[in-house]
Amino acid sequence: MTKLLLRRLGQGVLVIFVLETITFFLVRMLPGNPFLGERKLPRHIMEQLNALYGLDQSAVVQYMNYWKGILLHGDFGPSLVREGLQVSRIIAEAFPVSLTLGIVGMLIAICIGIPAGMLSACYRNKWPDAVLMLLAMLGICIPAFVIGPVFGKTLGQLPGLSVAGWDSAMCIVLPALTLGLINAAYLARLTRGGMLEVLSQEYIRTAKAKGAGGMRIMFVHALRSGLLPAVSYLGPAFAALITGSFVVETCFQVPGMGLHFVNATTDRDYFLIQGLVLCYGVLIVVANLVVDLVLIALNPRLRAQGTA
Amino acid sequence: MSRCRIVGLPTRVFYDKLGAVMRILTVFLCILSSFLLMNCGDGKNSAQSFAEQKILLLGNNSEPQSLDPHKATAVADGKIISCLLEGMVRPDPEQDGNVLPGMAARWEHNEAADEWTFYLREEACWSDGTPVTAEDFVYAYQRLLHPQFGGRYAEMLYPIQGAEAFNKGHAEWEAVGVQAMDAHTLRLQLNGPTPHLLQLMLHFTWFPLPRHHVEANGGMFDRRSHWAAAEHWVGNGAYIADEHRLNNYLSVRKNPHYYRVAEVKNEGIRFLPIVNGYTETRMYLGGKLHISNNVPPEMIAYAKQEAPQDFCREPYYCTIFYRLNTTRKPLNDVRVRKALSLAIDRETLVSKVVRGAGTPTFSFTPSGAGYKATGPSGIAPTQAERENEARQLLAEAGYAEGKGFPTLVLMTTSRDVQRIMAETIQAMWAEKLGVHVEIRSCEWTAYKAAQQSMDYDISSSSWSGDYLDAATFVELWRSGGGNNCTGWSHEDFDRATETAATTGDAQQRSSLLQQAEQLMLSCHPIIPLYHSERTYLRSSAHIRGRQPRLLDNFPLDAIEVVP
Repeated sequence: MTKLLLRRLGQGVLVIFVLETITFFLVRMLPGNPFLGERKLPRHIMEQLNALYGLDQSAVVQYMNYWKGILLHGDFGPSLVREGLQVSRIIAEAFPVSLTLGIVGMLIAICIGIPAGMLSACYRNKWPDAVLMLLAMLGICIPAFVIGPVFGKTLGQLPGLSVAGWDSAMCIVLPALTLGLINAAYLARLTRGGMLEVLSQEYIRTAKAKGAGGMRIMFVHALRSGLLPAVSYLGPAFAALITGSFVVETCFQVPGMGLHFVNATTDRDYFLIQGLVLCYGVLIVVANLVVDLVLIALNPRLRAQGTA
Repeated sequence: MSRCRIVGLPTRVFYDKLGAVMRILTVFLCILSSFLLMNCGDGKNSAQSFAEQKILLLGNNSEPQSLDPHKATAVADGKIISCLLEGMVRPDPEQDGNVLPGMAARWEHNEAADEWTFYLREEACWSDGTPVTAEDFVYAYQRLLHPQFGGRYAEMLYPIQGAEAFNKGHAEWEAVGVQAMDAHTLRLQLNGPTPHLLQLMLHFTWFPLPRHHVEANGGMFDRRSHWAAAEHWVGNGAYIADEHRLNNYLSVRKNPHYYRVAEVKNEGIRFLPIVNGYTETRMYLGGKLHISNNVPPEMIAYAKQEAPQDFCREPYYCTIFYRLNTTRKPLNDVRVRKALSLAIDRETLVSKVVRGAGTPTFSFTPSGAGYKATGPSGIAPTQAERENEARQLLAEAGYAEGKGFPTLVLMTTSRDVQRIMAETIQAMWAEKLGVHVEIRSCEWTAYKAAQQSMDYDISSSSWSGDYLDAATFVELWRSGGGNNCTGWSHEDFDRATETAATTGDAQQRSSLLQQAEQLMLSCHPIIPLYHSERTYLRSSAHIRGRQPRLLDNFPLDAIEVVP
């Protein structure tokens, strides 16, 4: 078990290293630079700025300096667009926002998606299944930039709820609901699929033959294995949720990571892109690790492999 | 595992247990809804409760780059900085284009208007109580111009004698025409007569810096300095920066050390960086703002219907136009360029695409500040006539009915309005001239990079003035100017603008600029489309005293928020 964990961790570190390296060189290949403004900068000023931030050095030297900064000083570099701000501060301010929103959104997704999927599987090919799967399909198809404003327009008018912004505790409700419902739709479909597959297996037939009731079969025999696809989806989905969603953050003016991610890329804020990618990478690796552990706990076959 | 046992029980027992679960759920819901109710407060929306505290909620487009006036370049930053710092003069809230004494109590200039002396008011001080001196101005100008600092807007100070040479590292600071005669007297030597200097000085690049504070926080050249962080702000403006939450808001509060503190109408301002116009409009209508920044064209009808009293449309010192790359075939032929320009039905463009928020134009510089916009001579009065002429010109150039015309690429940013406009113009050219263009919509930086390196055929562009003077528009088209980006140049044009720059007489100067513009327009390196207007929402219930400004630089301390 420890060996498996260590191996996964090692893989994770490698993944993050490769990710950062590719990002580093990719963003520098994009047209433009961080100092490009509405009006053209005179050449001498562009040179001054590049020299100040070490961007006049060769890419390899810059790359070495970047890792040196992180590993030796824990310094993720400055923002090149919002000069005077450190990348670490930007992430430290935005991450808790996205984390809160992500957790609430995920809870909503789980509380709605998994029961809906189970219900669908129970009533396979009957009307509740049709209705639920139709709703799930709608949830998957209708993009967040439609659901968001519709919620804002309708529910946002209710007292206490906020149309957009991030100035009181209740501001979280609508963006979390938008994120939650979209993910609930995916979860419902995955749960249904997983449950149906399990329900068609022979051990379920055996349980039925032995006289187990419908409920018992559903919860005791089928649920654990039926949830596996949903759980493997949850890991990366959760990482994606807590690193922020650009669309939902734009619709509801939430000061999370998603806005920074997109703005940093369009503004060519090199160090900020690197920092955000690093953050996202670490979260994905951790989330996948957690998912692996949960899957091992749920699936005895994997456990056998893990200890072997 | 508890669930297993529940389900393992006989059905009736299971339903009993289910009932218990439902009861717990009900309690949870009750707690949640009471939490909800608690947070509603008295049911007042933010606009109302902030108005009672006399705090203005202002939609401010984008997250500020910096509060340091030497690092900021965006309009959104300028609005905040103008609240936090004050230059020698300040804008008159009563009359657009007029200036009032700011840090300077009075000023004088010689007859040629190339030597100006400013006398600072003795009572002016920074928000930490330190007096504002002429040295603070000298320090600020030296910093922005210093080659070691890399000020992006250093060009704004180039009217000062020797400033350009110093900025490029060709001269010493001593050679620059900025001098503190004593603690309260500043003398500026300029390159030539500059009667509109005071207009320039309204821009934040001309503001002083709290020298003692900058020096205590890393010094003049430290670009990573925290002196301008909101948490420990020192300034001389009507407000002090208070709290900065990235992508959420920046709040400022009244500066008790400000010399006109009694005249400052509000206790504070909250700047909300809402980039998306749809979100902003929804937030305004949901009671989250007193003044919004922008209503996008598609939302105008809706905003008018929802808040007819609050909807505002004001002229803005900005022109929307297309740049043509005159170094590429067939755009190197003036007949082709003129044909493309004439075939665009600007009336339709303005009424259908931007829903009336603009004035169709054939000229580049908007009217205002003593300048009258005039298109190139000989433009036919009706669109049908213009289209005929366009077809004729194209035929003369060898592309009758568009035959043999290469497919040009029309580059735009990914903004909705620009894309729709490009599609409309694409259709007009195809229909009227038989000319086909391909639209390439790029994200902003890629678009800008292509434009500045002239890697385009036709580029959707806009230009807004930094200060209220025609020169900020006309001078764009000088040969080799950084923002020309069309490859067009003309000796007579350069000469006329150079003469204008050193002409003291305002009327003569204006007519020289006008001549230069006429010349440029007759060569058609650009296709002017319309002078844009700002469309935004302003609470008629809560806001008093705001007036339209061409540069959208109405002093925010003169706006009053009423409950």
